[in-house]
Amino acid sequence: MAKLKLGLYWAASCGGCDVAVLDTNEKILDVAQIADLVFWPIALDFKYHHVEAMEDKSIDVCLFNGAIRSSEQERIARLLRAKSKTMVAFGSCACFGGIPALANFFNRAEIMERAYVEAPSNDNQGRTFPQFQTEVAEGELELPELYDTVLTLAQVVDVEYFIPGCPPPVDLILKIVDALATNSLPPPGAVIASEKTLCDECDRKKEEKMISKIYRSHEIIPDPERCLLEQGILCMGPATRGGCGARCIKVNMPCRGCFGPPAGVVDQGAKLVSAIASIYQAKNEEEIARMVEEIVDPAGTFYRFGLADSMLKRKRL
Amino acid sequence: MLKKMLGQLGIEEERVRLDWVSAAEGDRFAFIVDEMTEQIRALGPFSRDDGGNNG
Repeated sequence: MAKLKLGLYWAASCGGCDVAVLDTNEKILDVAQIADLVFWPIALDFKYHHVEAMEDKSIDVCLFNGAIRSSEQERIARLLRAKSKTMVAFGSCACFGGIPALANFFNRAEIMERAYVEAPSNDNQGRTFPQFQTEVAEGELELPELYDTVLTLAQVVDVEYFIPGCPPPVDLILKIVDALATNSLPPPGAVIASEKTLCDECDRKKEEKMISKIYRSHEIIPDPERCLLEQGILCMGPATRGGCGARCIKVNMPCRGCFGPPAGVVDQGAKLVSAIASIYQAKNEEEIARMVEEIVDPAGTFYRFGLADSMLKRKRL
Repeated sequence: MLKKMLGQLGIEEERVRLDWVSAAEGDRFAFIVDEMTEQIRALGPFSRDDGGNNG
């Protein structure tokens, strides 16, 4: 069998997804056995023009991490889509917008103001901002344009598979590599993870879900055996897809929701607010008000990874 | 909590209302539905801009 051609790209992301690929350790040599890497900006010195020169559909699989929030990222997403037979949204940002999509609580002007004027480390009284186009003696310089709204990969191009996770765990990466090697890929549209929720897969002791006080992570040392939600710690397990191996739960940290909505759920945040509100145990209006206050940032908490993928996609402009 | 969250997402509080009406309170039910309908009509259609200014 001819070797597969594999491409990897990063858009609006932190680099953790690329590191997760390297975390496969010696298994990455197995990847090299079955595949030639034809594009991987973090590790290999291929340029965009190399990709442009490729024939359409000549890359077998593209693992694309990061959300889309600039003209450059959109251009490369479209380019790689044209050159790839199979497009994989790799990691929470490509799948759901991820942490970068929290920018959807703001718009471009607010982001620029914060980053280049308001942030305490700035001294920008002249209000200098990066320009998308700048005239200099040598000609015109261009920077990618920042978008108002962070988008998921599937909102920009067609995507065949989704591997969620911040970052995707090694066993799921190897699962897709193995499926590629043995030509046993699932039907297009599949999410390479579990069909169950994290709660279904969590082996903590669950008793009665009734809470009367919410604790933030730094306010409590949780019992390592009991359900975190029952201890008053906001855990996103009830409306988050499983398959992550409960990495956070095993180190006594609550689920943040990085695997996105479980099968059949459209809006993860809406599902979470309903799950959490339904276990509130309050005697009167004052107690309810106190508990609502205890969740400092509900939208940011329940849409931590999924704002771009939610029904509203962003704060209304 | 839902109202607090919707507020963060830029949705007017007046668009959401939770009320309790018994099956025996037909008049009250009709009154609340009318009131809510008028309130929403006054706010106008729910404008939505998915993409923002993307390029």
